[in-house]
Amino acid sequence: MHKNDLEKEKILYAKNINKEFPGVKALSNFNFDLYKEEIHCLIGENGAGKSTFIKILSGAFKPNGGDIFIDGNKYNFLTPHLARSIGIQTVYQEDILVPHISAAENIFLGFGNNDQKFFISYRKIIENAKKLANQLGINTNVEELYEKLSPADQQFTKILKALAHKPKVLILDEPTQAFNVKDTGLIIEIAKKISSEGVSVIYIAHDLDEVIKVADRITVLRDGKKIKTHDKKTETLNPENLAKEMVGRPVSLFYKKKECAIGNYVFEVKGLKLNQFSKEINFKVREGEILGIAGLKGSGRTEIVRAIFGALNKYEGIIIYKGKDITPDSPIKAVKAGIALLTENKKVDGLFMSMPVDHNITIVDLDKIGKFFISLRKERRLADDYIKRLDIKTPSPNQEVRFLSGGNQQKVVLAKWLFAGVNLLIVDEPTHGIDVNAKVEVYRLFTELTAAGKSIIMISSEMPEIISISDRVIVIRNFEISRVLSKSEIIEENILSGFMGGGG
Amino acid sequence: MKVSEKKEINQGINNGNSIGKKLGVFKNQTSYLVLVIIIVSVIASILNPNFLTVRNFFNVTQQISVLGILTMCMALLMISGGLDISIGNMAGLVGIVFVKMVLSGYSIVMSVAVVLTISTFMGFVNGFIISKSKVTPLIITLGMMYVFYGIALIVSGGRPLALGGNFEFLGRAKIGPVPFTIIIYLLIFAFAYLLRKYTKYGRRLNAIGGNVQAAFLSGINVDLHIISIYTLSGLIAGLAGLVLASRLGMVRADSGTGYELQALAACIIGGITFEGGRGSLVGAFFGVLLLGIMYNAMNIIGVSSYMQTIFLGAVIVIATVISNIGKMRRE
Repeated sequence: MHKNDLEKEKILYAKNINKEFPGVKALSNFNFDLYKEEIHCLIGENGAGKSTFIKILSGAFKPNGGDIFIDGNKYNFLTPHLARSIGIQTVYQEDILVPHISAAENIFLGFGNNDQKFFISYRKIIENAKKLANQLGINTNVEELYEKLSPADQQFTKILKALAHKPKVLILDEPTQAFNVKDTGLIIEIAKKISSEGVSVIYIAHDLDEVIKVADRITVLRDGKKIKTHDKKTETLNPENLAKEMVGRPVSLFYKKKECAIGNYVFEVKGLKLNQFSKEINFKVREGEILGIAGLKGSGRTEIVRAIFGALNKYEGIIIYKGKDITPDSPIKAVKAGIALLTENKKVDGLFMSMPVDHNITIVDLDKIGKFFISLRKERRLADDYIKRLDIKTPSPNQEVRFLSGGNQQKVVLAKWLFAGVNLLIVDEPTHGIDVNAKVEVYRLFTELTAAGKSIIMISSEMPEIISISDRVIVIRNFEISRVLSKSEIIEENILSGFMGGGG
Repeated sequence: MKVSEKKEINQGINNGNSIGKKLGVFKNQTSYLVLVIIIVSVIASILNPNFLTVRNFFNVTQQISVLGILTMCMALLMISGGLDISIGNMAGLVGIVFVKMVLSGYSIVMSVAVVLTISTFMGFVNGFIISKSKVTPLIITLGMMYVFYGIALIVSGGRPLALGGNFEFLGRAKIGPVPFTIIIYLLIFAFAYLLRKYTKYGRRLNAIGGNVQAAFLSGINVDLHIISIYTLSGLIAGLAGLVLASRLGMVRADSGTGYELQALAACIIGGITFEGGRGSLVGAFFGVLLLGIMYNAMNIIGVSSYMQTIFLGAVIVIATVISNIGKMRRE
């Protein structure tokens, strides 16, 4: 009986939550509670289970086991509609608002206006939006088109939209991603104000300083398990300790790379500036080396490699290969110079989904299969070699790529660039969304390439990957290099401190 | 015994597949199309025995040659992810200028050279604007369609122009029983087919149509390919204009109007999609044939021309729906 009373004090209590995806245990026996008027932060690495948990709370996922108590009522699972109707609102990272209507209209989009059955009073919407913003001390111009607002104002609009539903629980999923210090400060203030007005907030962020500032309590997640919940009232917190709790992973997750001989510096990025105001980026890559690029999403890591490849306009800077200036102004030049870019989202800009496997492999270097006319027989034969070498599982080279699995699709992209004979392979999240076996095969290929004297630049969000594969790591933060780590310095703490701008 | 029988059957099926694949004819939509053409022909010949004669067959093919040539333009463009609905009026304008030049006393060779240059340039303009502005080709070529039509009206003064017996061989000559226009159409079909399937250029166009972003990041010069294929399409549309003028013997500003949508229909019936990157020229070829046979059959049977229009529309809708069902099932 007494225990029940205690639970009633909590506005939300999740008990023994389990969630499994094929091959992965995203959450195991996870417990989480949320008191009235508190800000409870969730921290953990990518894949630790934070997103899975909030998706369960917002009704997007159905847990495999466990109970959720909200206001003392027990639920086995929630649906998006149910979650909203019992007062849970989620502000996701992704933009789901309509760009070409005003912020105010976005805030009240989907509301039934009771006194007006069919027509909408624009004036009233603006009025209500202003009232809502004033309550929080936000001075966003709510009459402005959403797409014209600054990132911070867009975030405020999303928060206002959630608050317009008068929630009991507000979930903020990385609300300050890619924000500057000032805007982050504003969001922290607003979150505190929201909680002081009686709404409980679940707050997810990567920046540990920010987390310590905003939180009443902090729960650390790792590999789907709760490590610890800290209470700011009873203990003093520091980022180093929290980072250590987030880390610590069984060794088995790390790929044991065969070490290759590393040669001289062959490739150099000199004075690269993406725009007038960004700091210069300088780095070199050696023959047979894998240079890891670590950085959070939105840190500028993808833009930097796209600029190197000539796919994105840069402000200034030159690219040198073996002493020659090869600065590409378009991918055409980069490909000629032997640079390859494997993009993060291969379906969007890496593969020709409706074309067969062999055509995908040969497209970069058609010269190999004919002068003007293509020899289909030769193409088939050469493509077959690569299909065998990379162990691409396809019923025939004739199969359209979209019918292959994600791992095999990734191998097709790799085969395409191997076929073209690259000197420098730039890969952006090479194993994103592919299974463990395919991952190992991709790593094996990387090792083969470096053994043959090729260089690789690898962007990755996955800590085990970056740590076990890279020979050297540069950490990117806010479009500049925040840390350079030599082989012996590549440990998770150093990378995390680079994310957060810590020196040292 | 039973096992070996099964094996044989399996082998038989496999052989059938591989032969089909080799021919490239019996793949997905094209096989249905051939079937439909056969069914339509059978029904037509039952209703009127005159349908299935050599003379009528050449009649049909001669009627479809202009459409066929323009369909090859459209097919090459659609496979590259593009579209040009100004090709009908481009052909019309070419016809007008050609006849005007011939009537003004210029030599045939000179006139042909000039109008083909003009149409090539018109194609180039379309391609240039589309590749540089990144505006959807439908809008640009819709505008250009009116521009070309307007120019044709000005040049012709709004009156029909008669060739007066000049330059008839292109449209009306025969080699044995085979009309010359069919040979031109077949040559252009063969050219387009080879270009698409067996050249590096064609492969790159296909890649651009399949995924322009991936093509760009694969080091393909996207703008160059887009501009050049529209230019080439202009040249071919010019040829269609000459065949048109020569076959009709008399042209008007709107002689080519409407062909662009029929060409589009033939491509779609043949399995070429708006998304680009897929579909075959063989399919488009049969698409043209189906339209031609349907028109001819309806004429022979005595279906009124108003009814014919309705049937044509229905065929387009049905063909597209069927191909989409096939696509949904595959996914």
